[in-house]
Amino acid sequence: MRLLLMGGAVAGLLVPALPAAADPVESGPWTAYSPTFTVQERGCGDVGGLTFRLTCSTASGDQRAERRYATYSGGTRQFEGYFRITSLPGTRISLKQTFKTTGPFFMLAVERGGRLYAVHGGTTIATGATVGTTVRVNTVHVVGSTHRTYINGSLRHTVSSESGSFYDKFGAYRTNSGQGPATVEWSDISFWRK
Amino acid sequence: MRALVALVLVATACAAPPDGATAAGAGGGRADRGRLAEQQSAERQDTVRQGAVRLSAELVSPTDVELRWTAGDPAAAGHVLEFATEPQGRYTILAFLPEDQTAYTHPDLIPNTTFFYRLRPYYGHASAPVEVTLGSGPYPEPEPDWSRPRTIPGGPRGGLPAGTEAAAPADLKATVTQADGVAFGWTDRAADEEGHLLENRPAGRPDYRVVAALDPDVNAVGLITLPEERQASYRVRAFRYGPHSNVVHRTTGGG
Repeated sequence: MRLLLMGGAVAGLLVPALPAAADPVESGPWTAYSPTFTVQERGCGDVGGLTFRLTCSTASGDQRAERRYATYSGGTRQFEGYFRITSLPGTRISLKQTFKTTGPFFMLAVERGGRLYAVHGGTTIATGATVGTTVRVNTVHVVGSTHRTYINGSLRHTVSSESGSFYDKFGAYRTNSGQGPATVEWSDISFWRK
Repeated sequence: MRALVALVLVATACAAPPDGATAAGAGGGRADRGRLAEQQSAERQDTVRQGAVRLSAELVSPTDVELRWTAGDPAAAGHVLEFATEPQGRYTILAFLPEDQTAYTHPDLIPNTTFFYRLRPYYGHASAPVEVTLGSGPYPEPEPDWSRPRTIPGGPRGGLPAGTEAAAPADLKATVTQADGVAFGWTDRAADEEGHLLENRPAGRPDYRVVAALDPDVNAVGLITLPEERQASYRVRAFRYGPHSNVVHRTTGGG
């Protein structure tokens, strides 16, 4: 799904997400919304719908297949999505990021065997992202306060958050210590705010 | 498995009246009562097979749910425990559990949220196991996409009902492709499986565990192993789900 070359990157611009079909978690009231996103394919990254692939084992450079959603700057945001790793010959691939416009903030990654971990700090978030099984991710970001990550309904990671501008990303992204190949399928993506 | 479900449905439709009304007016002798007892016994067994696992949930703290259930069908290979936060799903598998496990704690839950749970047995016999010991090479050149779950064409098309012993995958082969990589291939003999489970038991571990959940008709996949899996036994299972248990729900507190 190569749409538009932009300096080595490939991007499909300002595509609205589908309206949220699920119900949000935590106390509301929440309002569903559909942020726009761009598709980013760099290096050996390939995006087809909600399937994200890194097709090479290159352990350097920018290898990514992701959706980058619109920037937000305040309030509370909730993301929900389900991922399924269908193939992971590689390791240490970032699956979901809450990015600050000035640099990385929270990056959820997977290494072989299905261990999910926070890239910054390396703490284990969960185990059990076994090839072929579906994992549900909810993040709740209170800008200027906290960022909580729930894996399969359980709170697995909390980090304090500064104020500023942030955006959501998900897909498959080679971390500094990682390499592909990897294939990840995401589904049922929803966003809410309050 | 479809045959089993059909059998269960028929047995349920023909269920005898409740206890206390059974023999009244039958006028039958000892033989009739004997047949009735046999029928009731069979129905009780069928009820168990129908998925009569009774699941219960208790909120043991504001954000911890403890789930317990009665022992299920001993013919099941195991259970999957699923959760959702809406009554109609979407359900997500929390764990593949051995058939004899009867409790699970879902911890540190999202506050102020209703969680729904159900348990499903899965059926299917596993292949004969293969033992894999990783060495130092050299290794044969692996096929491109050797690790991708796929269906290698040309093999016999499975025609047996999943869940029967004869439908267990056959001819499981393991090929070490790199220092920590193993490629698997097998013959799919099941016609109606809902998927395949690749399971392993690292040396020193007592039980097998699911290491990959694969789509129906897949007959090849590769796995990158963990350090503890340098010596391990592997097997593959074609499976079908049985009927799910009752659905229970609990609403978490403020955390």
